[in-house]
Amino acid sequence: MSVKAFELVPAVDREQLMGDKARISIECIECCGKHLYVGTNDCFIHHFLLEEHTTTKGTLSYSVQKLLVMYLGQKKPVEALKAASALERLIVLCDATLSMVDMVTLEAVPSGGAKVKGVAAFCVNENPVIGDPFCVEIGVISARKRAVQVYMVYEDRVQLVKEVNTPQQPCAVSLDGYFLCLALSSQYMILNYSTGAAQDLFPYDSEERKPIVKRIGREEFLLAAPGGLGMFANAEGMSQRAPVNWSESVIGAAVCFPYVVALDEGFITIHSMLDQQLKQTLSFRDGHILQDFEGKVVLASTKAVYVLVPLPLERQVQDLLAGHRVEEALTLTEGARRNIPKDRFQVLYKRILQQAGFIQFGQLQFLEAEEHFRKGQLDVRELISLYPLLLPSSSSFTRCHPPLHQFADLNHLAQGDQEKVQRCKRFLISYLGEVRSTEGANGCREDVDTALLKLYAEQDHESLLDLLASPNACLLADSAPWLEKHHKYFALGLLYHYNGQDAAAVQLWVRVVNGELQDSTRTDLYEYIVDFLSFCSNLDLVWKYADWALQRDQTIGVQIFTKRPVGKNQSKDQPCQVNPDDVVTYLGKHSQALLLYLEHLVLEKQIQREQFHTQLALLYTDRVLSALNQSPGLEAQLVVARDKLQFLLRESSLYRVHLLLGKIQPCDQLLLEQATLHGKLEEHDKALHILVYQLKNFPAAEDYCVWGSASQGPAYRQHLYHLLLGVYLDLDAPGRGAGAGGGELEVAAVDLLNRHGELFDAVRVLDLIPEGWSLELLRPFLVRALRGTMHARRTSQVSLGLARSENLQLQHDRLKQRGGPVLLSDKKGCHLCHNTFTGPDCVCLPGGRPVHTHCAAERVVRDSPAKRRLANASNHT
Amino acid sequence: MPELSKMRKPDVKIVILGDMNVGKTSLLHRYTERKFKDTVSTVGGAFFLKQWGPYNISIWDTAGREQFHGLGSMYCRGAAAVILTYDVTSWQSLAELEERFLSLTDTANHDCIYAVVGNKADLTEPQARLVTERDGLTEDPGVGGGELTGEPRVPSACPTPPASPVSLSRVSVNKQVSREDAAALYGRILRYKGLEESDCLPADKMCFETSAKTGYNVDALFETLFDMVLPSILRKRTEGEGSPTVDLEDCRGPGKRARACC
Repeated sequence: MSVKAFELVPAVDREQLMGDKARISIECIECCGKHLYVGTNDCFIHHFLLEEHTTTKGTLSYSVQKLLVMYLGQKKPVEALKAASALERLIVLCDATLSMVDMVTLEAVPSGGAKVKGVAAFCVNENPVIGDPFCVEIGVISARKRAVQVYMVYEDRVQLVKEVNTPQQPCAVSLDGYFLCLALSSQYMILNYSTGAAQDLFPYDSEERKPIVKRIGREEFLLAAPGGLGMFANAEGMSQRAPVNWSESVIGAAVCFPYVVALDEGFITIHSMLDQQLKQTLSFRDGHILQDFEGKVVLASTKAVYVLVPLPLERQVQDLLAGHRVEEALTLTEGARRNIPKDRFQVLYKRILQQAGFIQFGQLQFLEAEEHFRKGQLDVRELISLYPLLLPSSSSFTRCHPPLHQFADLNHLAQGDQEKVQRCKRFLISYLGEVRSTEGANGCREDVDTALLKLYAEQDHESLLDLLASPNACLLADSAPWLEKHHKYFALGLLYHYNGQDAAAVQLWVRVVNGELQDSTRTDLYEYIVDFLSFCSNLDLVWKYADWALQRDQTIGVQIFTKRPVGKNQSKDQPCQVNPDDVVTYLGKHSQALLLYLEHLVLEKQIQREQFHTQLALLYTDRVLSALNQSPGLEAQLVVARDKLQFLLRESSLYRVHLLLGKIQPCDQLLLEQATLHGKLEEHDKALHILVYQLKNFPAAEDYCVWGSASQGPAYRQHLYHLLLGVYLDLDAPGRGAGAGGGELEVAAVDLLNRHGELFDAVRVLDLIPEGWSLELLRPFLVRALRGTMHARRTSQVSLGLARSENLQLQHDRLKQRGGPVLLSDKKGCHLCHNTFTGPDCVCLPGGRPVHTHCAAERVVRDSPAKRRLANASNHT
Repeated sequence: MPELSKMRKPDVKIVILGDMNVGKTSLLHRYTERKFKDTVSTVGGAFFLKQWGPYNISIWDTAGREQFHGLGSMYCRGAAAVILTYDVTSWQSLAELEERFLSLTDTANHDCIYAVVGNKADLTEPQARLVTERDGLTEDPGVGGGELTGEPRVPSACPTPPASPVSLSRVSVNKQVSREDAAALYGRILRYKGLEESDCLPADKMCFETSAKTGYNVDALFETLFDMVLPSILRKRTEGEGSPTVDLEDCRGPGKRARACC
């Protein structure tokens, strides 16, 4: 009752048929192309020409022209008419007799034999198995026999093909292929007239009501079942569609896909085959006949003829959509898939999906809406344009016409309900997010991204930054004011950066850090700027803001330079490379930053330049000195500063030693450093004196020996150790004798010898050590030294033996190689030229074969190294 | 119902039979739409297409009313499984299955599977009232689960009185059909079909007690049957077309599932 699927259009009215004769009524109709035949109860056949017109309003109307009226000469009514257009014959059933008349003249066919008598009803096979185009197959129900006959009708004769007996008297028949669908007196059945196989369908009562047997397609029939059902059955006796629910008194039925049209006493009912629901009811009084002819549904009351015209699918669907009946509209469209050319269907279907999506969107059914938008491949801008101000002003988009929906914009849709607006916005966010990741945004990426950016900004959505950090097509001109409006300065900076306007980005951020603008997106924005500058390739920009950054915090600010990736070559033609000299000069006024930067250069980057090393060492020294001058309590600081200084002094050898020594020497608290510096000058005596006598730090002295010789050979190390031992045992040293230090030194010397005995030359040591030392005191050293020399002696003896044997072996091989004497006689031929030898001069080839000297010389020329090299080269490539 | 389902061709057919008001439509409805709602008495029949793996299974819901009885055998023609439904609170509904509906299945496939299903179990079984799905809980658990909620039936002119005493089950309002009765009917169905019980699926697998109202056992019923009819689909496919094309999917199906009767 919901769809307007059909319209009832009058075709032939009472005037044209019977004038004012009251007792005449229509018995049967036949329509073939434009020809309409009407049989009446007074044995007349009326022939009309039916022309279709489209009125100015777009509706159909019919004009009728009466061509002929023919009286068949009986008193009986014309019961049925069927046109056989290929034969130009009209098959007429009248007075239980089947006869043929000419389609045009309505004259009886001359040969009188073409008649079948005793016929109760007949039907034409629209899907005959025999493909002869000039004959028509008909199924005939005999009035007297329990049988069905199949005839072939030719232009001038009728031929019985088959007669099949039935268990009961048949009363209605329909034919498709070999299958007869029959209504018997108490049941329906399917009969295969070729094989005789019968299939009962279901029982019904023919007394109670008129059976309907209607072929609706290939091997499928529509039957009137008890309880007012329209049942579908196929040739195998199965039902493949659910039944439709008619009234009890259906007179006729037809299928006009996707609808089942049925006629009862007062109404035409229209059910959908897709969902079995009643879709439309048309009032129709005195209905009498309902038949479909090649897709055209024609109805007749007793007095007039009408055509049931299906409305265009688009209009039906639009009606449904207007009533917000989305599911039905889509079902109807889907159902028409087979009946519409594919490309046209696609266009239609997409549009309907889009409209359906907007209807559901309007009802806030976002899941369904999204599904339909997606399937309908909606231009996403249609959706964006609903939201005020989201589309960039530069967008060329205009809404599609006719409109897909009736909403002016979101406010119109939500009727001022902010909650609804918010839900719609959240939906658009998720939808656009999805569209971005698919092909759907092709061609309008700018619009989509800009709209998404605006939504994120407005909704304070966390994905705003992700959007800007990843590849996007947001329009700067349109987005900037919007981001400013929502105080998303950090995001705006990112957008500037993405569009290559780093200066604007940094300027904006600096203003936020300085508190001129409010944006709490990042609390560590300052660190972010520093990080950003450290990667920034625009050096002008870096210099411009470096000062600001350093003033704010030197330690962090210097990261602009220290975190900067260093390229392999430091040449100046790489624009993004900062020259370290420039930086060092620039950082002059920020000592803390300068120190950090030099540390970065020297310790991390390992840059080998005297200037940086010296400067760093001086800075360290200054720190240590200033820490020393400060009041006590900062011991920890001093220790850290000294450690750094000592480390640098030890590890680096690039700084200017004299300069530093001059600086450090006045301060007698920095003896260790002094020793190191002396060491760097190779003044090991001085260094060791300081360590041993002034500092009395024996482990440090030993360490000194180790690092001092680290880059040198073992001999140098031995030299240092001997020096140290000498210092320990030097009785005349200026610092010695102060207190009980002497014994201490001797203990240190013994300890040194006993622990590192292997490093000393034992003979020299024995010369050095005082006479008075006991053997027991030096026992570990002596044992080790003895063992060492012993080992060395034996090792050398072994190697000597091995070398001798090797030499012997080689001599043996040489003699073996030399072989026996070379025999030469004038009977012996040269191996190369095969002539005999004439004199004693000869050359032996490897293997001892004698050849002429000139032959050997030739061969050498031939196989010259140059040639061979050529050959080899070609072999290797 | 997904729109596209109307376009697909079913591979196999399952038919739900049973007396009026036992809850056939509600069962199907519960399975397909996951909810229980008031239905009107079914006119003629209705069907639903279920996608089960690569196959389309059509489920026919028939009308229980005497008026439409004649259509039953047509619905059953070519069926691979028949669900014979009764109402656990009505002895009569079980008796009707044997008297009226069993003969309708003569047109079903020779290897058709039969399931005997007692609906409205929520009225008698406490565990059937505990529902897995939320929507079931929101409704009043006390009221009956029938399509047309009628008064509890009185065992009218019942030829054989219920074997199980009603008093046995403490909770039940008026359980009239026990599981044993259903199993006995299943045995009689097999005898009627001329099948050896030992060749067929056992009664305890093929007798279900369900509640369309609470969803109790409904999925289990349908999905068990779907799995059981799969071999029938495969056989139909291989017989159906003598096409020389090798169906690669053939090798997957058999052996996976329990064999069908005979």
